[in-house]
Amino acid sequence: MSNSLTLAPAPRSEAAEQVRGEVREFLAAELAAGTFQTHVDTWLSGVDPEFSRKLGERGWLGMTWPKRYGGHERSAMERYAVTEELLAAGAPVAAHWIADRQSGPNLLRYGTEAQRQEILPRIAAGECYFVIGMSEPDSGSDLASIRTKAARNEAGDWVVNGAKVWTSNAHASHYAITLVRTSPLDPSHRHAGMSQLLVDLSLPGITVNPIRILDGGHHFNEVVFEDVVIPADMLLGEEGNGWHQVTAELAFERSGPERFLSTYPLVAEFARRVADSDDPAALATLGRLSARLLALRQLSLRIAAALDRGELPDIPAALVKDVGTTFEGDVIEEIRRVVDVTPSLDSPDPLGRALAEAQLHAPGYTLRGGTNEILRGIVARGLGLR
Amino acid sequence: MSDQDLVVETVRDILTSHEPFVLTPDRRWDAGLWATLAEAGLTGVGLPESSGGSGGELADAVAIVATLARGAAAVPVAEQLLVAGPALLAADLSLPSPEEPLTFAVADAVTVHPVDNGDGPGRFTVNGTVTDLAWAGVAQHVAVLAPAPAGLDGALLAVIDASRLEATDAFNLAGEPRGSLVLDQAPASGALLTEAQAGEVRARFALARAVQLAAALEQVLAWTVQYAGERHQFGRALGKFQAIQMELAEMAGEVTAVAALTDAAVQALDRGAADVVLAAAAAKVRAGAAVEVVARLAHQVHGAIGFTQEHRLHHLTRRLWSWRDEGGSELAWARVLGAGLLAEGPDGLWPTLTRVV
Repeated sequence: MSNSLTLAPAPRSEAAEQVRGEVREFLAAELAAGTFQTHVDTWLSGVDPEFSRKLGERGWLGMTWPKRYGGHERSAMERYAVTEELLAAGAPVAAHWIADRQSGPNLLRYGTEAQRQEILPRIAAGECYFVIGMSEPDSGSDLASIRTKAARNEAGDWVVNGAKVWTSNAHASHYAITLVRTSPLDPSHRHAGMSQLLVDLSLPGITVNPIRILDGGHHFNEVVFEDVVIPADMLLGEEGNGWHQVTAELAFERSGPERFLSTYPLVAEFARRVADSDDPAALATLGRLSARLLALRQLSLRIAAALDRGELPDIPAALVKDVGTTFEGDVIEEIRRVVDVTPSLDSPDPLGRALAEAQLHAPGYTLRGGTNEILRGIVARGLGLR
Repeated sequence: MSDQDLVVETVRDILTSHEPFVLTPDRRWDAGLWATLAEAGLTGVGLPESSGGSGGELADAVAIVATLARGAAAVPVAEQLLVAGPALLAADLSLPSPEEPLTFAVADAVTVHPVDNGDGPGRFTVNGTVTDLAWAGVAQHVAVLAPAPAGLDGALLAVIDASRLEATDAFNLAGEPRGSLVLDQAPASGALLTEAQAGEVRARFALARAVQLAAALEQVLAWTVQYAGERHQFGRALGKFQAIQMELAEMAGEVTAVAALTDAAVQALDRGAADVVLAAAAAKVRAGAAVEVVARLAHQVHGAIGFTQEHRLHHLTRRLWSWRDEGGSELAWARVLGAGLLAEGPDGLWPTLTRVV
């Protein structure tokens, strides 16, 4: 098989197991104190700034970043253990998730010293939140077709016009790393002429309009820019290098355990039901789902290890996200086949509630962060087919 | 070049002059290939020289088994190197000569009786039928995992000389011999195992099949990608069609997931992890699940020619369809895994998942 798809096995990390234990202890105490309840897909829907600050205080945000920027210089394997524990517990991690996962690393890679000094310590403290400014009303999978435009004014600042959509939790966030056209579209070089801007969402001319998802939850927004003046020093990276930067950012966006653990709280609830029954079919279903999950963990750990080696494994990340998000949705159907339970957000049965949450969020799993069709296209490239 | 690369290269070289063929009752294994492998010492790799093996690590034996699986080689090497050989040694039983094929079976339907004919302890007679025996009629020696003699707990691992026993004709979907052996007062040397030790022997068998499945799945993907590049329709290679690309990418996802988990389970075995049975169960179940997708899509992309014995594809897809339910069925291992993950109660599920591999 092509080497671009496969990664070396992850070495076992004692440090990761150590921090895993600490996180587990913290989560048990928080659950016991009732500061949060377990839910499905909380990295989208569980906004809780106080919880995010607690993680920051414990050094579990910005874990891999240099200490001079508020980071903790720990390995990607340790960060993996922390994020995985938070997701498995269904903890409210949405407020800081994007900032910690991809915006911070993006700033570290491409930001100016001033940008890093100003923002990274606040992300690591769990106080500064980001949204992804990529998709637009007319640009989804075809990201290069974006129309949001930034033009320089006489002062050299950027004037932005356009709109971004699916900006998760923009109403509760501080910045959007926004992909804009800084030169007109050249049909023969579609990926040229784009740049990333670091946009303060409190600036005049920005309107945030809510878009409700299937369960009525408000996570998505449309962010509209009308003659928004962005200071010149808020350009992220190089003018015209936006496509390259966004590709690197997507490698971080696609590579984590949230791409197979979004519905883990449903699996955990199912396990409680299986333990109380003597149905061999349900036991086998738990076994089958667990085997898939264990394989995904190994793939995801390999990606963390590759990040520790300084690689940016975008093709393996696309593959893992495809397989992982398919699993997230399959969990629902596999459980339904062996358990007699009615899904409802109002169910007195916690399994019925978890099933309802998972079901109403399900269309998103295989769309967000790049549809599985786009991801399979990337994998096909890794196979040498295109 | 690492030792494993060298071993793989050696096996590949040998395989170039031993192409897979359609197995029939008259030609039920590749005796010539076995003789060449045995002569090169490759049928004793991973087994210590002090016990008559060729030395080397578990990883070397796994690499040999995987390479032979990719080549659809009809020889009992997986059974010998990964299951029967190490199980006999772990139980302090002596190893038959690695040049004589040795296989393994879980034989729940036989009864064993200790005998003392003056040879000292460890001698038994075995009665009953060993069913679904891999390489029945081919292997000269059979290691069986049988219920312990009456009144004793655990299980008995016994090695039987099968060279003069008649096996029934039964074959798996690939034509590999899977007949029965009727044992009537068959003499055996054996050792009692605890239930936990017996579980580990069963897990070795499952993991051996998982290693073969993982390797064959990779090869089927490689063949299918190659075919999609060579076959032209509508003026284009099949692989240029987005519909075909989606199918190949789905196959790649399955193959990669299986490889990662199987590697991890092999490492768990190598370091003597406490949860090796669950690791092997997971690898076996995951590999079996991938067969459904990979074999189906491989045949879909190959079209009608892949549905014939003229094309090579069936050598591996028929094996995949069989191996996924050998060494313990996929269903049985799914239950073992489910039960094992709940052993500490449902709140222990996540801690156990993060510990198994």
